[in-house]
Amino acid sequence: MRPNSDKIQMSGALTAESGAGKGRLRKFSSGGTLLLGFSLLFALGGCEKVLDQKPLNEVDQNIAITDKGSANAAVAGLYNELQSANYYGANFFIIGDVSTDVAQSIGTWDHYREMDTYQVAASGNVENNNFYTRAYSTVNIANNILEKIPVLASVADADKGPMLGAAYFVRALALFDLTRLYGGVPGVVGTMGVPVITKATKTVPEVEYPARPALAVSYAAVEQDLIKALELLPETTNKSIASKGAARALLSRLYLYLGKNAEVITYSSAVISDSKYVLNPVYADIFASKLTTESIFELSFNDSDQSGIRNWYNPVGGRGDLTTHETFYAEATANPNDVRGKLYGFSASNGRYQTKYQKAGGVDNIHILRIAEMYLNRAEARAQTGDLGGALDDLDLIRVRAGIGPISPRPATREAVLQAIWNEEKFEFAFEGHRLFDLTRTGQIMTVLQNIPRKNGPAISIPVIGRAVFPIPNFELDANKNLIQNEAYR
Amino acid sequence: MRKTLFLYLLLFPCSLVAALAQNKVISGTVTGSDDKQPLPGASIKVEGTSQGTTTSVDGNFSLSVPEKGNLLISYLGYVSKTVKISENSVYTILLEPNTRLLSDVIITGYGNQNRKTLTSSVTSVKAEDIANVPSASSDQLLQGRAAGVQVSTNSGSPGGGIFVRIRGTASINGSSDPLYIVDGIPIQASNLAQNGVGGSTTNPIADINPSDIESIDVLKDASATAIYGSRAANGVVLITTKRGANGQAKISAGIYAGVQNLIKRPALVSGSQFESLMNESAVNNGKVAPYANPAAAINTQWNDLVLNDDAPIRNADLSISGGSDKVKYLVSANNFMQQGVIRNSQYDRSTGRVNLDFNANSKLKVGTSILYSRSQRAIVQNDDNISGAFSGSHFYPSNMTVYKTDGTYQRIPTIDHPLATVDEADINMATGRFLGTVFGEYEFIPGLRLKSSFSVDYTNNTESTYLNTFTNTGSAVQGSADIYNLNDNNWIQENVLSYQFDLNKNSFNVLAGSSLQESETKFIRSTGTGFPTNDFTQINAAAVLRAGSSSTSYGIASIFSRINYDYDKKYLVTLNVRSDASSRFGKSNRWGIFPAVGLGWLVSEENFMKDISFVNSFKIRGGYGITGNQSGIRDFNSLGLWQGAAYSGAPGVRPFQLENPDLKWETTKQTDLGFDLSMFNNRLTFNAGYYYKKTEDLLLAVPLPRSSGFQSVVQNLGEIENKGLEFALGYDILPKTSALSWNVSGNIAGNRNKVLKLVAPFNVYGRDLFRYEEGAAMYSFYMHPQTGVDPQTGTIQFEDVNGDGKFTSSADRKIVGNANPDFFGGLTNNLAYKGLDLMFLFQYSYGNEQLNWTQFFMQHGGSRATNYTESQLNRWQKPGDVTEVPKMVAANYASDLRPSRFVEDGSYLRLKNLSLGYKIPSKFTKKMMLSSARVYVSGQNLLTFTKYSGLDPEVTATASTSLTQGVEFFTTPSPRVIMTGINVSF
Repeated sequence: MRPNSDKIQMSGALTAESGAGKGRLRKFSSGGTLLLGFSLLFALGGCEKVLDQKPLNEVDQNIAITDKGSANAAVAGLYNELQSANYYGANFFIIGDVSTDVAQSIGTWDHYREMDTYQVAASGNVENNNFYTRAYSTVNIANNILEKIPVLASVADADKGPMLGAAYFVRALALFDLTRLYGGVPGVVGTMGVPVITKATKTVPEVEYPARPALAVSYAAVEQDLIKALELLPETTNKSIASKGAARALLSRLYLYLGKNAEVITYSSAVISDSKYVLNPVYADIFASKLTTESIFELSFNDSDQSGIRNWYNPVGGRGDLTTHETFYAEATANPNDVRGKLYGFSASNGRYQTKYQKAGGVDNIHILRIAEMYLNRAEARAQTGDLGGALDDLDLIRVRAGIGPISPRPATREAVLQAIWNEEKFEFAFEGHRLFDLTRTGQIMTVLQNIPRKNGPAISIPVIGRAVFPIPNFELDANKNLIQNEAYR
Repeated sequence: MRKTLFLYLLLFPCSLVAALAQNKVISGTVTGSDDKQPLPGASIKVEGTSQGTTTSVDGNFSLSVPEKGNLLISYLGYVSKTVKISENSVYTILLEPNTRLLSDVIITGYGNQNRKTLTSSVTSVKAEDIANVPSASSDQLLQGRAAGVQVSTNSGSPGGGIFVRIRGTASINGSSDPLYIVDGIPIQASNLAQNGVGGSTTNPIADINPSDIESIDVLKDASATAIYGSRAANGVVLITTKRGANGQAKISAGIYAGVQNLIKRPALVSGSQFESLMNESAVNNGKVAPYANPAAAINTQWNDLVLNDDAPIRNADLSISGGSDKVKYLVSANNFMQQGVIRNSQYDRSTGRVNLDFNANSKLKVGTSILYSRSQRAIVQNDDNISGAFSGSHFYPSNMTVYKTDGTYQRIPTIDHPLATVDEADINMATGRFLGTVFGEYEFIPGLRLKSSFSVDYTNNTESTYLNTFTNTGSAVQGSADIYNLNDNNWIQENVLSYQFDLNKNSFNVLAGSSLQESETKFIRSTGTGFPTNDFTQINAAAVLRAGSSSTSYGIASIFSRINYDYDKKYLVTLNVRSDASSRFGKSNRWGIFPAVGLGWLVSEENFMKDISFVNSFKIRGGYGITGNQSGIRDFNSLGLWQGAAYSGAPGVRPFQLENPDLKWETTKQTDLGFDLSMFNNRLTFNAGYYYKKTEDLLLAVPLPRSSGFQSVVQNLGEIENKGLEFALGYDILPKTSALSWNVSGNIAGNRNKVLKLVAPFNVYGRDLFRYEEGAAMYSFYMHPQTGVDPQTGTIQFEDVNGDGKFTSSADRKIVGNANPDFFGGLTNNLAYKGLDLMFLFQYSYGNEQLNWTQFFMQHGGSRATNYTESQLNRWQKPGDVTEVPKMVAANYASDLRPSRFVEDGSYLRLKNLSLGYKIPSKFTKKMMLSSARVYVSGQNLLTFTKYSGLDPEVTATASTSLTQGVEFFTTPSPRVIMTGINVSF
């Protein structure tokens, strides 16, 4: 039917009704007149009002980003997306640890048990699905900001820069996370990247059905975004948002994946030399406090905005579905001086569980980038380029802070130095979602993830290198016929 | 003066007749023809006058009457009778009970109609059929009693939701629940509970007291439902409440009480068996057996700790009804209380009703139907919930002690202690509901009426949760409390002008009307954590506070018209058209037109049938119509929206949904054919129907590539068909007039559901247990097809679905069955001998698959540390063992396996109700100052015949989504109820 026909329709019908009764109205008692009048009035007056309902919980997309305040709100929405329990709020950290020798699944949540046992189902692994979905919705918010904010006349260019920088940075982070989980690492596993989406989806016809690009293309898109982010982001001491320091730090990590050691050294050094970022002398403080000098980029949580990671590890008041591998705990506490070995609780049912993230009410901040990583990244790049002394100096800073003193005796071969660095990474970043990707990136995964004893079941080994990446969720293959599943899951 | 006199005569023509007539006094008795008991309070009127009286307690009356004329005798539940005034002065009047004959008057949308001239398919359930069945909610009472109406109880939790489908499921994302109309008001019938305590739902229909119900009429085909146009695609359930009748005040009271128990208790392994199985699994996996001496294990029966044996159920009803020519009234009160079979769960409802009819004058009638209902639910976490009471008491290993040595709860990870779930959490829901309508009806000339009504359906829900520090959740945050408050306010204004007239042999009933409806739901939530002690339970004492609110609304405007025409009561035509506009759709697509036509031919009225005397009535009918659906989607699904998304104290926004300005009504086109036959003095009735329903422009959450940032967008894409046959048969094996009477009525229906068109296949529910794809039925289970267990090695074997020569869990899944029954129905027997009456109803469902998801978790083969059901004992142990439960080694119970062995045949036959009653003879009741009294014993779910291994083949754990059905997942089973009661009237 045509628009605006509703009014015509309504009155038409009622005219017919009143016509039937009209001629007789006078002859009858006022009751009938009243009744008829009442019903007519009601029906005529109410129609437009009844059909014209306005949403109150949400706002129209066209008025969502209109001025400086709402543009800033969109940027906050970007960080909020990273905060989701499906992403950095819990899930992505868990993915990085439960699929390794650090953490194991002991509860009923099969989705993490699948990851723990290298049996992630393409169909129906809720956590794999959640991460994929959330990482791409993050990309879409960034794309909206990148399209909508540049054309806002009322916002000064100086204000736009940091906003756009944040969008480039977060888009890079999401694409990086997607690429390393589903694509792989060049030269180690995988040849296909993940769809690189750079246009905002605002209407259904704009929805793209991309094929998977080459792995290198995915990583190149991350690099490109980070370089733009570095240009646009501010130097800021606010570590709960993206900054030039954060862009440099993520570039340092990206180049480590790509084996570009000179660049790793450049960007790590740039962050290390930045006085805003200093190793926190007390390791436990990084997690007990918030936004310490250690942090480069840390997601900030509070009472009304909670992270879910504690719930998964902590049996006291939490689900406690996950716990530490006993072998890992033994290694982490082998040196009684290691302060990192103190961050564990114990329960009869769960054994040793991590207490880095243990604040009641889920108010733990999430550490995406912190300065310790820059030292270890640089150490690795230095070792790879032959500067073993420099590498060990960086490594020792981390060891000393952990309370275990400089490495002794100092390893003399490149392999041994690398091994020492990787070993330190394992303890330093346990439960911070690094392990799976570090094992893959360094090519250790097939040798390290063998015969890892599990509480509920036999020791587990990764069966093929193809399982170092996760399957693209089935719903995506159903919805987009241009995509191809990773080889190990076909 | 002349004018006044004229008006007087016009308005009160009867008084003139009365004044002119000669009078005499007659007397007599009115008794029921069935049991020959006197009927007290029956109305006797002289036709066309205001003269009348009602019978006394023993059924006697005396009345002054004119010499000539007719007596009109009526009594609730009996067929009214006209008796000619003769020269006799003493009359013995027998009234026939109102049984379901072809000639019943049944309620149709915006009116009522004689069943004989109906062109559509309508099933009616009358008050007496459902009286004193122990049920909170009247929709449940349709189970097994109405052909083509599939009803199952989602969960045995008291006051829980009911699954109702009329002629199949016609929508995927939209709602497939029927439209419920109570006394003309389309009511809010969807689950309003906000507090997520598992997948269970609450049932708003339970707010209505079943004892207030006079009849339930189920409109099934388009020619009947199209008058409700846009909301009628899933059928319409018309609930009519009792109203006052002429006569002296009749006071009725009823009370029943009973006990409820589980039909079947969970079969869990003992502590020794648990330890042996764990040892076996460890050894098979190359580990050291953890338990040295399983024989010495303790044995904790966890389920006994949470179950509420002999859970009470009781109901009390009181009503007063009566009236005169001027005013008729019915006032009723009810209290219903049902405890759950899990401790600390309860549903308690009190209702009050006032139904009034007032004849302001001979032209103007006004009336009201007003219900206030207040219910309290005490809820225990359960149903579709891993941390529920029932799941906890399944999961906790039987070799574990309940308490630690220090007296605190002994816990396992993930799942809270069953006693903490039951005793330390306090979860409540209080619902206040006002459902009221006022109407006025004016008759301009005989047959021409205008009826206007204004109705309100208002619900206030307050849900609260308090988790003290002895619960796992509460322990971390020093106690946690939530309060949700929801106000749901609906108003509807309707006007119907109808005109009934005859032109020779042509009979017309024409109506036209309009309707405006608006609905607004407002919701606030506050949460507090950190309480000084467990004695503080209100949020204002909490250290950390959070709050939220939301609001949503929709409106519908409609105009509609219907013409019922018959020629000589032989050839019947019904034409319907309704046009609706919904605020939910884009401006350009708001209006939808829903037309329907129904045709009927009363063959038995033809001359050539006159000689076939054993056929009382034979009618062939058919119809075609288009109906719509707008429910089940969100109120603002057509708009592109952004929502709030704060980050660390800074306000934020994020995209929420993509716009679809083309969003419009989902439409169902239905063709209907059937016949109604009545033979042998109406002793045998038979109805048969065939239907074909095709739903187009499905309101479907079309999956998008999530790389777009969106998961789906609601679009009008996709098609579903439902087709089926339904039959109902009623037979008086022994007629009502014989000393022993025996009536059997049964029905059977089969529906075939098929998804015809989708944009892309998609999976739903955790672990993708259901798949939607073209050519498959809805509610299809998507599993790894298990072909067996290798008798030599004990290895689980699966079908290689994609034929690549190997089994890959990510690639080799397929649809292995669905939850839709092939056939379902019921069989009711009613027997009466003198004052004794016996009723029993068997209800059945055949060919439906049920997923025993509880078993999946309880047959984990040692891959979890939790308990087992006894089914695990059937595992493969040595070469030669033939079983479907594989060897207890990790690979056979890998986390990515969804073996099809858990999809079972869910067919069942259930003795749903049985009641045996005795009507106390009047010589005793008289002494007790009663006009009648009946005592009875009755039972529900007394026997169940099924091959299904779970606790209840009827329940489903996933009631909160319309996309799934037929999953038992630690769901509370329906209890067996045994009760006794008494009904008396004064």
